Amino acid sequence: MTALERFEQLMAIHGSDIDRWPIDEQLPARQLLSESVTAQALHNDQLALDALLDAIPVPTMTAMEKRIIRNVSAETRSSLLDKVIDWIVPRGGSLSTWAWRPALVACLPLVCGIYMADFYSFGIESTENSWQEELYLISMNDYAEFSE
Amino acid sequence: MNDDEALMLAIQGGDSKAYESAVRQHIKALSHYAYRMLGNSKDTEDITQEALLRLWTHANSWRADKASVSTWLHRITHNLCIDYLRKDKSNVTGELNDEHESKDRPASVPEQNERLDALKNALELLPERQRSAIILSHYQGFSNKEIAQVMDISVDALESILARARRGLRAQLSDLQAS
Repeated sequence: MTALERFEQLMAIHGSDIDRWPIDEQLPARQLLSESVTAQALHNDQLALDALLDAIPVPTMTAMEKRIIRNVSAETRSSLLDKVIDWIVPRGGSLSTWAWRPALVACLPLVCGIYMADFYSFGIESTENSWQEELYLISMNDYAEFSE
Repeated sequence: MNDDEALMLAIQGGDSKAYESAVRQHIKALSHYAYRMLGNSKDTEDITQEALLRLWTHANSWRADKASVSTWLHRITHNLCIDYLRKDKSNVTGELNDEHESKDRPASVPEQNERLDALKNALELLPERQRSAIILSHYQGFSNKEIAQVMDISVDALESILARARRGLRAQLSDLQAS
């Protein structure tokens, strides 16, 4: 293969930008390009082709990109829900794993109920009221004993 | 651990923010690749969306030692495009030649426009593998090794495909100049 044939082959493989050619081929290629009119003509043809390829437009697709981002993000959100369901009722795993997780989830309302009842003190509004009520009840007791 | 590995590890762990960040990072390159392969916006949207969904659903199949995330995603997009093109070639429309784009061109260089149209037609008529190789090499800026990974062929086979594609396009342009 002559130097010119090799030059043409490399250009067909890598394009007109000699910087993208294999390192050890770059120097001889540049040398040939500076000396050979045929190499220059070939290179010019490839440059023209690359310039035309660059000129082929791609429309702006911003709206489409936004739509895609919205759609795929929605997909990950539903997948997250699937993951929670998968955790509660695992598709595989041992029987104990399958049993304790739904049991844990079922206990949640009970835990919430205990917490809320404790928080609202079973309808007694304040500590002061409860003391007053207790004193009142004691006094009633005492009164009952005296009356007997 | 490099950036790709950290990102994919997060996505594999179900981190939707990491996923969104990856989507934003790759969406432009993938949509441009799909558009140049298919030539119309509607199918480009479908293919790009499907490829990006697979980034979420198939994240576990990515291997750091085999390909970068970008190469892997281009491979998914490439396969989807090829499947699409083989299924229904009649759907591939020449939107690249649409009127709205012709209007953007300067009217003072009709000869240039004629050559551009001829090149677009020549690109569309290239066999799928040649078109894909040219797009990945010229527009997406991949190395030959990466393109070979995307197309799942050897580097030697790719170089042969690229050479045939470039020679074919150059010949068409020369013919146009001569006529």
